[in-house]
Amino acid sequence: MPVNKPLKRPKLANEGVVGRSTFFVNRALLNIRQNIFVNLVTIGTITLAILIISLFMLVFVNLEGVSNDWSKRVQVTAYFEQELSPPELATLKSLVQAIPGTDRVTYVSKEEAFKRFRERLKGQELLLEGITTDVLPSSVEISLKSASRNSDAISAYVARLKKVPGVTEVQYGEEWVQRYTTFMNFMRMAGLLLGSFLFLAVVFIVSNTIKLTIYSRKEELEILGLVGATRFFIKAPFLIEGILQGAAGAGLALVILTGCYYAFLHNAGNFLSFNPAASGLAFLPPVHIAGLFVSGVLLGFIGSITSLKRFVSV
Amino acid sequence: MIQLHNVFMSYQKEVTALHGINLRVPRGEFIFLTGPSGAGKSTLLRLLYAGLTPTRGQVVIDGQNVTRMTRSQIPYLRRSIGVVFQDFKLLPNRTVLENVAITLEVLGWGKQDINKKVYHILKQMGLEHKINATPLRLSGGEQQRVALARALVNDPKILLADEPTGNLDEENKDLILNIFKDANIRGTTVVVATHDKRLIENSHKRIVSLDKGKIVEGSDAGQ
Repeated sequence: MPVNKPLKRPKLANEGVVGRSTFFVNRALLNIRQNIFVNLVTIGTITLAILIISLFMLVFVNLEGVSNDWSKRVQVTAYFEQELSPPELATLKSLVQAIPGTDRVTYVSKEEAFKRFRERLKGQELLLEGITTDVLPSSVEISLKSASRNSDAISAYVARLKKVPGVTEVQYGEEWVQRYTTFMNFMRMAGLLLGSFLFLAVVFIVSNTIKLTIYSRKEELEILGLVGATRFFIKAPFLIEGILQGAAGAGLALVILTGCYYAFLHNAGNFLSFNPAASGLAFLPPVHIAGLFVSGVLLGFIGSITSLKRFVSV
Repeated sequence: MIQLHNVFMSYQKEVTALHGINLRVPRGEFIFLTGPSGAGKSTLLRLLYAGLTPTRGQVVIDGQNVTRMTRSQIPYLRRSIGVVFQDFKLLPNRTVLENVAITLEVLGWGKQDINKKVYHILKQMGLEHKINATPLRLSGGEQQRVALARALVNDPKILLADEPTGNLDEENKDLILNIFKDANIRGTTVVVATHDKRLIENSHKRIVSLDKGKIVEGSDAGQ
């Protein structure tokens, strides 16, 4: 009786890491072509998801930019009773500079203070008659590093500043700083909360879409299992597909976002009372863009890997 | 080639699909598994290709204890087993060539070898002219032959078939039966689960009858 010859393995064209990878990428591309509709649905969902998150980020980044501008107004002023000699001033400056959180130290002499005062009273110079420059104290104006621009940090800073010899009084807009800090904390909390909800919703929608598209191909997964494909062999093309879908979706979303941004910048002047181009409306920094792209890729990859877990039982 | 020792299979605690099955199928044999619907035929086949793990007992295929296999070993067992079903399980958006090629792609064959081998087996099935058609354009008999080509293209040691002729007319049934016989002549052990009496009577092969999860006839070779 004729017997099955032991299966002579022909030359395996797809062996080795490169061969296998090429095979899997080709398979993924073929799968996309053969299941173009479900792929478009997934890419569309990822595009919308990334677009929503990136719009949110764009708004947030601009709000932060505005608040950062405001925070530059946080300034500490230290007054001295006497005019300081240049060596004294140099010592003092170095002492102040040594306090952590100091950004820039500017000396305001009695003359400079008087000049500023006079400018403020423009038109009413008569009031200054008989007053000499001596009446105003000299001071240093200190701007702080952004990390120190909140009320707790400033209080600590001021306490240290008061210990510097020669300083008689320290002033800063205490109330304003407090209100600013409260507002910033609120904004960060709200942003974080809103952002997290948005992110969860988006992950939920995308992973469910991917689950449905993989469900629609569960027969293919079953057949691959039946003919002896390993789990890796079954999953790899799907994961590559997920990565490609994520990259395509994120790329498309970023293109749309850029388009919307420039369209808004050039046309918003017509229907808004201000010109956004002149107001310094910023686009997302490159790190954020890269982050969004990677998020899209991860969405596709993780969405696929979690869905596959359900359907690949081999 | 196939040995089952005191195999029990329950899906839930109450429903027992198989009750203490003992079965031995020597290498190169051809058997029919028969019995009414719900007798446990499909469950038994699924145990053979490790689609299920028995609740109790041992399943030994080609000297390997399937019940003790890890999940990662199962694919390698399945490479020596071809399976066909009543509903063919073909991918509708792939061509006949691509459907059959899956088996060889999994083994890592190169494209040219795959094309040659697939053409060869389709020619044996009389389907070489349909190589680029999609399954939806084929008749039921042709679809089952494509499914058989996919199962047999790597010359498996065992061929399992679950109601393979359930959806076919008489002429196609004979055609399919002949393919089974040919594979058997070439050395493949064949197990066909069916309740098609005519198919069984025409073939003069060993019959194992199941009823309510128990073997009522033909449990051992030579009976």
